[in-house]
Amino acid sequence: MDWKAYLRLNRLILKLFEEEEDLPIYLFVDSSQSMNYGEPSKLDYARRVAAALCYIGLANLDRVNVISFADGLKSELPPQRGKGRIFKIFRFLSEISASGDTDAKSSFKTYCTETRRRGLAVVVSDFFDSHGFAGALDILRHFRHDIFVIHIASHEEIDPGLRGELLLVDAENNTTREITITPSLLTAYKAEFWKYCEAVESYCGKYQLGYVRTTTDFPFEELILKVFRQGRFLK
Amino acid sequence: MTFLALSPLEAALLALLTSGAIIALYFLKLRHRRVVISSSILWKRVLDERQSHSLWEKLRTIISVAIAVTIALLLGLALARPEVESLTGKNERIVLVLDTSPTMNTLTRDGKTRWQHALESAKGLLNSGGPTTEFRIIDTSGVTASAFTTDRNEVRRLIEQMSPKTADPQFPRVDDRDSQVYFVSDGVTIHTTPSFVRRVSVFESANNVGITAFEVRSIPSMPLSYEAYLELQNFGRPAEVGIVLSGTGGQRINKTVRLGTEEIYKDVFDLSQFEGGGIRAMIQANDDALALDDIAFAYLPVKRKTRTLLVTHSNRFLETLLKLDNYVELAVTDPANYRESPNIDAYIFDRFAPASAPARPSLVIGTPNAPWLKPSTGEVKKPEIATWSESHPVMQFVSVHDVTIERASRIEAGNLTVIAASKQTPLIVASEKPKWVMLTFDLESSDFPFHVGFPVFIENVLAWFSREQLALKRSPGIVDVPLANAQIRTIDGKVISSEQQLGATVFATSEPGLYAATQGDQRVHVAVNLANPTFSDVNRSVFKTDKSAATQHYWLRRELWFYMLTAAAALIAIEWLTYHRRITL
Repeated sequence: MDWKAYLRLNRLILKLFEEEEDLPIYLFVDSSQSMNYGEPSKLDYARRVAAALCYIGLANLDRVNVISFADGLKSELPPQRGKGRIFKIFRFLSEISASGDTDAKSSFKTYCTETRRRGLAVVVSDFFDSHGFAGALDILRHFRHDIFVIHIASHEEIDPGLRGELLLVDAENNTTREITITPSLLTAYKAEFWKYCEAVESYCGKYQLGYVRTTTDFPFEELILKVFRQGRFLK
Repeated sequence: MTFLALSPLEAALLALLTSGAIIALYFLKLRHRRVVISSSILWKRVLDERQSHSLWEKLRTIISVAIAVTIALLLGLALARPEVESLTGKNERIVLVLDTSPTMNTLTRDGKTRWQHALESAKGLLNSGGPTTEFRIIDTSGVTASAFTTDRNEVRRLIEQMSPKTADPQFPRVDDRDSQVYFVSDGVTIHTTPSFVRRVSVFESANNVGITAFEVRSIPSMPLSYEAYLELQNFGRPAEVGIVLSGTGGQRINKTVRLGTEEIYKDVFDLSQFEGGGIRAMIQANDDALALDDIAFAYLPVKRKTRTLLVTHSNRFLETLLKLDNYVELAVTDPANYRESPNIDAYIFDRFAPASAPARPSLVIGTPNAPWLKPSTGEVKKPEIATWSESHPVMQFVSVHDVTIERASRIEAGNLTVIAASKQTPLIVASEKPKWVMLTFDLESSDFPFHVGFPVFIENVLAWFSREQLALKRSPGIVDVPLANAQIRTIDGKVISSEQQLGATVFATSEPGLYAATQGDQRVHVAVNLANPTFSDVNRSVFKTDKSAATQHYWLRRELWFYMLTAAAALIAIEWLTYHRRITL
């Protein structure tokens, strides 16, 4: 209330102020070994998505943080602001290499326990995390970040053209498993894959998190538009 | 369970080794293709869930090994030829002896013959026993005698080829040590069998009138005259029998007689009105069950005068004798005027012989010197006839036991046929090629011309030279003709196949008939007739089917190894199918 105006004019006048502050965007890019799978690899696709989102963030004068994680925080780009920083981000993204197991929970925990402002946390990952994806996202929720999940899958994972007697080697931890691929087993695997994807989506839906699932053969531009249509990325 | 190919120990070892090998092979590490995946999280979940929830997943390995071991055991043990008595019967040997005597052609009330019933019985026996049962088939004619075989189709084929054949059936010699012997017969011609033989009777009483004898025979008192002798016997109910004798020239004699049971009818028919050629005797009676003995054949020689040239200085006896012979057209000449002529059928050389043998047959009296005759090596005084061949055609109805000979020439018989001989020298010899007969004595130094047999001898010699002979009498079955390399024809002129055996021609026939065997200018007729009361008496049987002849039938028609291989093949197919669908390992 502008009490001075009231005394002078004998009218109640309410003064309205608008504060514009820059939104911190935290872009978590999964760079575990599992992301180095498929043609093109999921990591490449993730880099492109991250770069596009970073540019949009920078253009909107937001503070953009890019974090590479696997079984821990691998590298972190300090907050960047302004379009001119985009090349630095490109350089950072291009230097990310896939390695290690996935432990998103411990990675996010490490990152968030440092004093951070609340912001938009964008997680770009395949969510093949032996520790579970829910724990990791719970951490981000706990720190009251606005969360947007971009779930990347390779078409080789959706429909693996496997047959016969195989020795499956886990790319992340090199564990092996002898297996006889039968049509029924393949069907069961596909069902399990979609079940897993639906579990991630269901979690996001439950906590009203933004969620977009894509495959590496899905056109990149359409994915960005899809992200925008969700209305969460840009306020 | 027993094993035919291996001992139980060997079979057990084989089973053990096979199973061991298969199991060992089964658990050898299969080289898996290495595939890198982004994460094994989902695969792990799927596999853990399947293994923990599916009983099949738990049993898959065991079942896969069990299938493989079963296949190997089936294949391995099939080699050992296992046998389970309750399923396939025991390994045994059955000898089937089929009676192929002519009486098996007898019709039964159902219109079939006894032989057809015998075939049905034999096939029934073939269907008995187990798959390992070995069969052997033998007939009583000596034509069929197979080896032991489990191939029933082969035995069936042999049975189909068999038929009643011979007129002289004999029970074959069979070894009963490890065999069951079945004899399928009507029991008419073979009454007794060894004690170990299980008899299967196809006998059924029947009516039959049969020709038990039929022949054309010459009348000794009338040269070139013949009569037919016919004998019938009724072996069934009293019957009226029609008799028909027919000749090739259309001559026919019909007669009807009534014969009681077991009655024998004998008759002689004058054939003076018949032309030479085949003579057929046929009888007809109601309900006659055996057709084979209702017909008989004989041959009536063609009557024709023999153009004879007597070459002699002088021989009143011989000349007179030949002139009186109605069937000799005689010409006489002395040795100086002798010329061989194509118009002469036979020559008679009296104490003379030309330098070369004539083209036509000749009777040589005395032992003149000629290159084509055996030379005299001396003289024998008062030779006594010690032996003579009554079966030779020239000696038919001739007795020479009391013939006195003053002197005879000594010759070496060599390859000649000695018809009569003293201890010192042959007295009458014959040559087949060229055809000639020689007396080693002359008629003036012997009383042979005064004997009643002399004209018959001369007649026989001329008949042997050029006249047709009566038919040889044979029975159905294997027929032998004493003429080498002869062609056999039926009365209709159809050539039938024959074989050569020890200078004779042999052919097979199962039915009565008249056959002609020809070789060059030689011709022999053969009358094949059943004409035997043993065969016509179709009711002379005391044969009954033995109770022990019943056989056991088994469900499985083949040896166990066949089913084991089939099961193994089926399991292999299933295993292949399930393996490629990753159902089994």
